[in-house]
Amino acid sequence: MTEPSPDPRGVRVSVVDGTAAGVPPLILRDRPPDTELIAVDDVRAVVATGGPAGARDQVLLLPPSAASTSSSAIGTVRREVVVGGWRVEVEIEPAARAALRERARRGREEITHSGPTDVRAIIPGVVVSVSVVAGDAVTAGQQLLVVEAMKMQNELRAPRDGTIERVAVGAGTTIEVGDLLLVIS
Amino acid sequence: MPAGAVPTAGPQAAPFRRVLVANRGEIAVRIIRACHELGMEAVAVYSDADAVAAHVRLADRAVRLGPAAPAESYLRIEAVVQAALDSGAEAVHPGYGFLAERATFARAVEAAGLAFVGPPAAAIDALGDKLHARRTAANVGVEAVPGTLEPAPLERADQVAAIVAQAETIGFPLLVKAVAGGGGRGMRRVATVAELPAALASGSREAASAFGDGSVYLEREISPARHIEVQLLGDLDGRVVALGERDCSLQRRHQKLVEEAPAPGLTHDDRIRLHDLAVRVAAAAGLRNAATAEFLRAPDGAFYFLEVNTRLQVEHGVTELVTGFDIVREQLLLAAGRPLSAAALAAAARAADPAGHAIEIRISAEDPARDFAPAPGRVVRWAMPSGPGVRVDTALEAGERVPAEYDNLIAKLMVHAGDRDAALDRLRRALDEVEIAGIQTTLPFHRFVARDASFRAAALSTGWVGEHWDGPADRRRAMERAQLAAGLAALAGATTADGRLTAGRPSVAARGRGSRDGSRDGRWRLAGLEAAQDRWPR
Repeated sequence: MTEPSPDPRGVRVSVVDGTAAGVPPLILRDRPPDTELIAVDDVRAVVATGGPAGARDQVLLLPPSAASTSSSAIGTVRREVVVGGWRVEVEIEPAARAALRERARRGREEITHSGPTDVRAIIPGVVVSVSVVAGDAVTAGQQLLVVEAMKMQNELRAPRDGTIERVAVGAGTTIEVGDLLLVIS
Repeated sequence: MPAGAVPTAGPQAAPFRRVLVANRGEIAVRIIRACHELGMEAVAVYSDADAVAAHVRLADRAVRLGPAAPAESYLRIEAVVQAALDSGAEAVHPGYGFLAERATFARAVEAAGLAFVGPPAAAIDALGDKLHARRTAANVGVEAVPGTLEPAPLERADQVAAIVAQAETIGFPLLVKAVAGGGGRGMRRVATVAELPAALASGSREAASAFGDGSVYLEREISPARHIEVQLLGDLDGRVVALGERDCSLQRRHQKLVEEAPAPGLTHDDRIRLHDLAVRVAAAAGLRNAATAEFLRAPDGAFYFLEVNTRLQVEHGVTELVTGFDIVREQLLLAAGRPLSAAALAAAARAADPAGHAIEIRISAEDPARDFAPAPGRVVRWAMPSGPGVRVDTALEAGERVPAEYDNLIAKLMVHAGDRDAALDRLRRALDEVEIAGIQTTLPFHRFVARDASFRAAALSTGWVGEHWDGPADRRRAMERAQLAAGLAALAGATTADGRLTAGRPSVAARGRGSRDGSRDGRWRLAGLEAAQDRWPR
């Protein structure tokens, strides 16, 4: 499937728990016609759609709390919006970033369905031990090897079910980010 | 806090020097205000969850009762009585909830030589027993909801057979209800005779666990029914008067959501008749001070006696608005042994011809899209309405927590106007001024009620909420509008680094005339207000 190149403009707004309520994420690239946000002060605003005879709702746009900003993904802002007495939590991120994230997720899903998977280092360090050899059948989540970095031992686990096709490192190998560690088919 | 000498209160001397208010939240604040108006000091009690709560701040002194859990604080009879004695209070007002309808509490207060601001213990006992109340009504010719007058015996199979025969006389569907009941606990709806034995057993079990008394009885289900209640006052001479009625039909799980006075659609004669029924039951039960008799109104217009609540009701304010009469002030005077005041008698004389119309909505920390489930938490923004004909009883402020340990009621919004239509318009307007953030409240439900055609047509019944309110659908629309608002704000870059709205970025429609006001906030505020005055941008 061909992805359209990410639009540099636009935002993606998702309601926390919105999917369960039947409200999918909203992607806004431009202000839709006959649609306005009229700020009254630093929290209050009116959202108006459909022209002079259309719908108008008073809204409260609360500033994001420090806690919510630090706990969410970088570039994502979580804030509370109150409409008609309903307290709604939304997450706002650039549409381009959301598209990239979506593509990456889909890519991971495709990988798990076909072809060999290269398992590469995501941290630099020294391989402490390798628990599998070529030809072993592995299941997703099974420990493959242990890497020591900054005096911490980090387990690397199988991203999917499969058979070990090749092991590229051994105990004591120094690795950098992106180095091939092993291949699962 | 008031300092210095106790002021004289009008022509009468203060009924007491100092009163302990054995409650919290909005009702404690309401009572403390009445004490101050009468020139009396008020003593607050509090749990650890309420150490800096509004009722503590407003009172002249405050006594800690214990940890947050009600059983360790507000429900500790000995601790409350001791607090009253230690603080030199001469009377105790229980408010509603907590200890208000516990005869043992009223007795403990009186045994300590203090005045209990409420009906005497004997009346609380007699009317708290629903079957006793039903028999009392029957004795004075007041028709209760058709049903049994004795507890249903459940021990032996042949007794159950006898109940089945009684049930068939009453007719189905019927309700199994707890003798000691309240709040719908122990209550079971029974549609057919086959369901009866199981409903009796499970209702009795629930009643035993909730009230320590598993006695149950049968009552015909009146449906559709309106819930109409009568505000009563009584003095030591045995004189009982009615101040008027309230319609409290809008309920969910037997908890009231909206109350109004007078009950719509009653004629002058209906009111005279209903008030007389209530006064007869209350007088027969030896009522003193304040209480409320509850009735169901069947579709044919018949009134059936339900029960008497021997306390100040949450919704007493709507009666105060249409009578212009202060019920809590009168309670305090009556507790000191005064006879019913001239003002009370005058209000009672006008009870069948109320002045205008009042509506109360209960703003509670509950989620109206999830079957009104409790939603406690910290309030980050809190603005209540004001203006003509608006009264707000609350104890909450921005930044405060709604504790999970207590009742979810956080504010009562009352409106008063010349007639019901004008009162509904006023309610809708007042609700538009409410701003609450940080917690979910019942506000969306009330906004719906204020706009609903069937509510305006006064097509009221106790099943109204289930038949008309679709919380998830209402919330879905709000979610979509919230999404759009947040998206438009982000798209316009219409927020400062700290996330506050700035009204002047290009595609946000605030059309200010540049830097007329030097300060950032002032400028955007002005720009925004101009846009708000001329709402549709070209």
